[in-house]
Amino acid sequence: MRKVKAADSEKFCGNCTSHNAYEYPGRVFCTRRFLRNKDAVVQTLWHCEDWIQNAQECHCVKDAKEEQK
Amino acid sequence: MLRRTDILNEPVKHIKINGRLTVDELIRQFGNSGSFGAGRLSTACDIYERMLRDDECTVFLALAGALVPAGMRSLVADSLRENRIDVLVTTGANMVHDTIEALGGHHYKGHWAVDDFLLYKYHTYRIYDLFVPEEDFIKLDMKLTEMYDQISDEYRGKRLSSREFAWELGKRLKDPDSVLRAAYEAQAPVFMPAVRDSEFGYIYNLHASRRDFKNTLVVDAFKDVPEIIGICRESERNGMIVLGGGVPRNTIQSAALATKSGIDYAVVVTMDRAETGGLSGSTLEETVSWGKLKGAADKIMVPADAMIAFPLMVASVVERLGKNFKRKPHRKSTGFKEAI
Repeated sequence: MRKVKAADSEKFCGNCTSHNAYEYPGRVFCTRRFLRNKDAVVQTLWHCEDWIQNAQECHCVKDAKEEQK
Repeated sequence: MLRRTDILNEPVKHIKINGRLTVDELIRQFGNSGSFGAGRLSTACDIYERMLRDDECTVFLALAGALVPAGMRSLVADSLRENRIDVLVTTGANMVHDTIEALGGHHYKGHWAVDDFLLYKYHTYRIYDLFVPEEDFIKLDMKLTEMYDQISDEYRGKRLSSREFAWELGKRLKDPDSVLRAAYEAQAPVFMPAVRDSEFGYIYNLHASRRDFKNTLVVDAFKDVPEIIGICRESERNGMIVLGGGVPRNTIQSAALATKSGIDYAVVVTMDRAETGGLSGSTLEETVSWGKLKGAADKIMVPADAMIAFPLMVASVVERLGKNFKRKPHRKSTGFKEAI
């Protein structure tokens, strides 16, 4: 089983399974919200109650944090 | 009986390059050598020229493989607009990539030797040595979901063929370099027989899910069949240029078979082989056995990368035809006129 890294343990849209790139790295597209007719473009470092950990890591959160500095 | 002098009657002429050689001059030198792929490419240009000079021939282009994202987009759009192609039969994916660029997205030069898991982490997709950013697909998904909503509201449950669907998309795209837009402006039919096997299919799921699968867009693949057969039937002669093969190639061939007339001119550019039994690599002789191609058809198979061969073919033939050559479009489909 894959070890959960420190960054992964933080809940962000950018490490949620429903996210796709929208304006890398700051904003992501949320499929789940889109299907529910909600505003689907959200901040990478935001999260909602439907957060589910992404099965494979990506650089969205890391790069969004770097951009925010 | 064949005599020895019949066999040994045309010596190979060797290729000479100078600094002023045009594309057609090079292709004609390929023809003079007559050998291997060069000879085949030269013959393909001759056949394409004859197709375009034949006033009674409808020219079909079958497009499979990622040719539009690789750089063939404007060439196909211009060929439709300038009546060098009458009917386009394409994978859905090629039109997806056309639409991505029409909506402001891009394809990027990349490399085949990369860390693909790194690309994954950067939300970047690879098509051999091309890269596509995921956000361009997402923007496509969002925009096309809106378009699907509009189209389904207009059609109210009426079934669209893939040709009507392509026409509705072309109507809504404004980019003049777009294949779908060019086809719409030229009133040229575009068939996407495997339309659901592309992002267009996935976007359907987004569109339908958002409205609980009620009053959704209905694209009916079977509706294409009488439409494309109708085009073949109304044409005195039919010619096909195949880039790749697959479903688009067989869609044209099967339409010609259904009319019991068979195709008159055929150029197939593919790297696929016949031995696997797949259609893309099947020889044109094999196609004759099905009645899809006439036994006496003007035909050639060019084992080449279509990204190299087709631009050379078009450049050569356009040069031969000259600036004043004007070809009337062959678009007689009743269904198409009805849709307009």
